[in-house]
Amino acid sequence: MKSRLRIIFPIGLFLALFLDGSLSNVFAGSLFKYPYSSVLHLVLLWLIFAVFLDERDDLPVVAWSAFAGLVFDWFYTGVFGVYLIALPLVVYLCRQIKPWLDLNFLTLLMVYIINLTIVEAFVYIWYMISKIVTSNLADFAVYTLGPTIAVNLAIFVILYYPVRQLYLRVD
Amino acid sequence: MQKFFSNRKLVIAIIILIISFGLMSVSVAIRDRKSTPPLVQQFGNDVAGAVDRVVALPVNGLQGATNSVSDLLNTYQENQKLKKQVDQLAQAKVNAQTATAENKQLRKELKLNKALTDYTAVTANVLTRTPSSWMNQLVISKGATAGVKKNMPVMSQSGLIGRVVEVNQTNSKVELISNTSSSADKFAIQITNSAGKTVNGIVTGFDKSDNLIEMGSVTSSVKIKKGDKVITSGLGGLTPKGLYVGTVAKVKQDDYGLASEVEIKPAADLTDLTVVTVAEQ
Repeated sequence: MKSRLRIIFPIGLFLALFLDGSLSNVFAGSLFKYPYSSVLHLVLLWLIFAVFLDERDDLPVVAWSAFAGLVFDWFYTGVFGVYLIALPLVVYLCRQIKPWLDLNFLTLLMVYIINLTIVEAFVYIWYMISKIVTSNLADFAVYTLGPTIAVNLAIFVILYYPVRQLYLRVD
Repeated sequence: MQKFFSNRKLVIAIIILIISFGLMSVSVAIRDRKSTPPLVQQFGNDVAGAVDRVVALPVNGLQGATNSVSDLLNTYQENQKLKKQVDQLAQAKVNAQTATAENKQLRKELKLNKALTDYTAVTANVLTRTPSSWMNQLVISKGATAGVKKNMPVMSQSGLIGRVVEVNQTNSKVELISNTSSSADKFAIQITNSAGKTVNGIVTGFDKSDNLIEMGSVTSSVKIKKGDKVITSGLGGLTPKGLYVGTVAKVKQDDYGLASEVEIKPAADLTDLTVVTVAEQ
């Protein structure tokens, strides 16, 4: 049973990675409606599900997240070292706080909000240092972070029970 | 928490930070300078692009299906409207053909072989869009093998949308005109007013809240009105002349009151792109 999850997890991860881009393009009219821009984070969602729903902690999530981050930088942005660091960082933090959490729908939702904020802020700061971003902090919070969290929470609510069922069944 | 900040972990964290910064600055430098990314990077992009095609296919198919349903619902009204236009179009087409032929002949007589307006078009599908609010980028399905080069302008059916920033063998990245990052180099454009006079300038920014292209530092005394047409001017390199950009939305004084700033409504919808055309000169 263990081996099945080891195959399902990376396939789901890369499906999420490429769906992020495709869906962003298809729904660009509603996701990137100026001045708001909401960024899809299916990869992050999949990683967090893997960290918290996999009871035995035997998936190499940190390594896979680094690889997914590398592909993201490589294929989508062309600027290396941003998602490559951000995604493993978040997974590492989740692993650290997991023993202290009473796991249910609401706590996982909270963890997801915090993680979204960490990733978006990390990417914003990194791009700001390399002068790819020129907008200021208030614009970032209002026009990017807010809509991003809203959209991704909706996706979380839709996907939580199906993915949990998947993990329960495979276990 | 004491354990978290132990010496070893701190050292590891600092090393990771340094690696990250190093990678970032190297890749930004490559992006700004070379015409194509290094071979390894190209290879990775081609592999990712191939996988992406498989994932993007059903998603794009779904989009195509929903689009055709909404198209079907609007068919009748559209047909009525289009019928009126067809007659005028035939006239205009014949006119344009004669003008093109005449233009060619005159150019031959003047021994002008290459004109600024000449270009060949490469049509490509849009594979994906960067899921990020900072990079308005697309990945398109044609690359170096189809003749795409860095800095070539990219258009949708209705007008200019951006330029190629990275070329791989089978796909390439396109930076949309709405990208406001300081590293993006800008298009040379030209406004023609109703009297036939022209004003040259470059795209200096993008007003995200109103979805308008900005053309700053205009000191010309030529009167520009709302609705005047804007095209690329063909000055300064790879962009051919005569690509449609949009129409003037408003003209205002800039912050210092010395020059005026023209705001341009882009002709292309930057959020609904499935097929694009790369123009090579």
